[in-house]
Amino acid sequence: MKISKGHLKAATFVAVYLLALYLWTLPFQDNNIPYGEFDAISHWELGDFIAESDHTFVKLPAFLDVSYGGNNYFRPHTLWYPPPYHTDFAIISAFSPGRIVPIYLTNAVFASFILISVFFVINRLFGFMPAILSSFMLTFSLRDIMPYLWGQWVERFAYAFIPVILYCFYMYFITYSKEDNKPLYLYIMAILLAINLLIHPLVFFHSIVGLFVLGIFLAIKQRKIPFNIKQIGISLILFLVLLAIFPYQTGNVILTFTKPSSEEQKYSPLSRLLQWSLNPEDYAGSVPASYFSFKEMHGLWTLPFLLLGILVLVVRRENRDIFLLTWLISLYLIMHRDLIGKFTFLHRSLSATAHIFIPITVIGALSIASFIKMPKIYQNFAKYGLAALVVALTLIYNMPQAYSTLNNAYDSPLARLNQGQIDVSEWIKSNVPENTNVSIIGPPPQIMQKVWWMASFSHRVSHYFEGFLTWKTYEENRNETIKYHLLNDYIVVDYSDIALLSDRSFVNTWQEFEKANLANHTLLYNKDNIRVYKYENS
Amino acid sequence: MKIPRIENIGFMGIILAIILIFFYMILGASGMIAILGIVLFFAVPFYLMLNNFELEQDEKLILSFLIGVGLFPSLVYWLGIFISFKASIFITFAIYVILAYTFPKFLRKNHLKSD
Repeated sequence: MKISKGHLKAATFVAVYLLALYLWTLPFQDNNIPYGEFDAISHWELGDFIAESDHTFVKLPAFLDVSYGGNNYFRPHTLWYPPPYHTDFAIISAFSPGRIVPIYLTNAVFASFILISVFFVINRLFGFMPAILSSFMLTFSLRDIMPYLWGQWVERFAYAFIPVILYCFYMYFITYSKEDNKPLYLYIMAILLAINLLIHPLVFFHSIVGLFVLGIFLAIKQRKIPFNIKQIGISLILFLVLLAIFPYQTGNVILTFTKPSSEEQKYSPLSRLLQWSLNPEDYAGSVPASYFSFKEMHGLWTLPFLLLGILVLVVRRENRDIFLLTWLISLYLIMHRDLIGKFTFLHRSLSATAHIFIPITVIGALSIASFIKMPKIYQNFAKYGLAALVVALTLIYNMPQAYSTLNNAYDSPLARLNQGQIDVSEWIKSNVPENTNVSIIGPPPQIMQKVWWMASFSHRVSHYFEGFLTWKTYEENRNETIKYHLLNDYIVVDYSDIALLSDRSFVNTWQEFEKANLANHTLLYNKDNIRVYKYENS
Repeated sequence: MKIPRIENIGFMGIILAIILIFFYMILGASGMIAILGIVLFFAVPFYLMLNNFELEQDEKLILSFLIGVGLFPSLVYWLGIFISFKASIFITFAIYVILAYTFPKFLRKNHLKSD
């Protein structure tokens, strides 16, 4: 087999992508315990339940219904996300051994797929060097890594569709003429748009705005509007047929989008228009302030190259430049949708900035070589030198924080289940009937995710644990709650994290509760400071 | 039945082998098999379908995956309501691969593709 330049380029890209996957899988390479915030729990448990139970479902199982039963406004007690994404997890989890690695690895591939999408599009439009540098820089993008770790899994993958959808439309548009055209790109665009909506509706909105802006600018530049009623009709049919496959979830998307928002605009339109990002104070307690900082997320070193890149694209205005500029403009519009009353998940759109900032930054950096008049051979050397500079700066300024964030993710024993909690969850899954309520008392409010993880690991409802964790809840009718709502329940009293907590006041409360209420009931499990009682009606 | 030629199949095979070894080293057998599943189920059937069209190889690779992650689980999901989920995965795979080979026949019959 002869090694061609194409083979070498492909191999280089594979090497960069494997580096990215090595980094993005650090949180679970040596630690097979699931991690993440509440979103991560919901995504993992959906895929895991389908794989473990060997069937899919329309109506939610009890342990999911208790938390998410009302999330589908169109048809309550059904999936609130269209099935494909989580079924993908379930497929790989069913095919590969283990409950953790298959799903988390699939998620890592999905979340990092934006590296592949950006490489593909930039390689097609601008060539190999800008493409490989863009992918390399995206590997260390904290704007992507942080929500990936927290658990905004679905959204991360959905963003990978945007550049490819825009690419398909771009190719259809620029190659279109009445006599000769390539409708295949339009049909594929329609299919990808439908899948994009089925993956995550917010990102579908990004794609639609992107297509709209790209279409307008290309129409002005090319002085044509591709219009073939048969091709548009086929695309529309493909799109609608795919959406009709999951009517409950499609209905939920429509209802959610048309729901009026209860939020009100508190900033003047002018101040919002002049601001790229959002105010971190508005998200205090849920999103760290650093997430909104250009310096922390991209590095100030990228700013001059980014601005230069925008200037180059604006001055040059070739078709491919229009592609990137309109992608940037559409992102700006989406991030200011609060001006038309659409506030939901506004900050989530910020996580798409690196996908367009980075390619423009790279183009800006590499364009410097063309500003100085010199023989072509020296220009090539200068270009390679600038590429090396970008790589060096990325490694110095972006890599350390990205590596540290991934390598240390959820590595506290309070952040993930301990082995005792996993063992009792597995025991409950095997020994407690389905649709039975299991109440877990033990982990304090600061580590409440542990209780949710145990509920999702065991596939058993955990209905009243919150009431018993935060004692003020149900305080006025605590006796009735104990008497009427714990009947037929299994109660897990978990002391396994006590040694790690400095505040031991909870321990006395739990021990008193256990002594007063559970002493006469059947103790079924007692291991690693975790006890399981079957509450008997007396 | 004419089977469309896959370009660079030897090179792709080598790359896949390297990728599988890489994941075996960092995540063990579970990781390696998971990656194999990702490629096999989400990309292969749809790559074979797109191979019937005039697209560049990189277009086929990326488009097949993005279409596959939507269309493959959609059929698996609906089958999985009635039969074993694991069985529905393999049945779906067979259906899509058969479609990939019968599709060119349909296109030729309807004069939508030239040989």
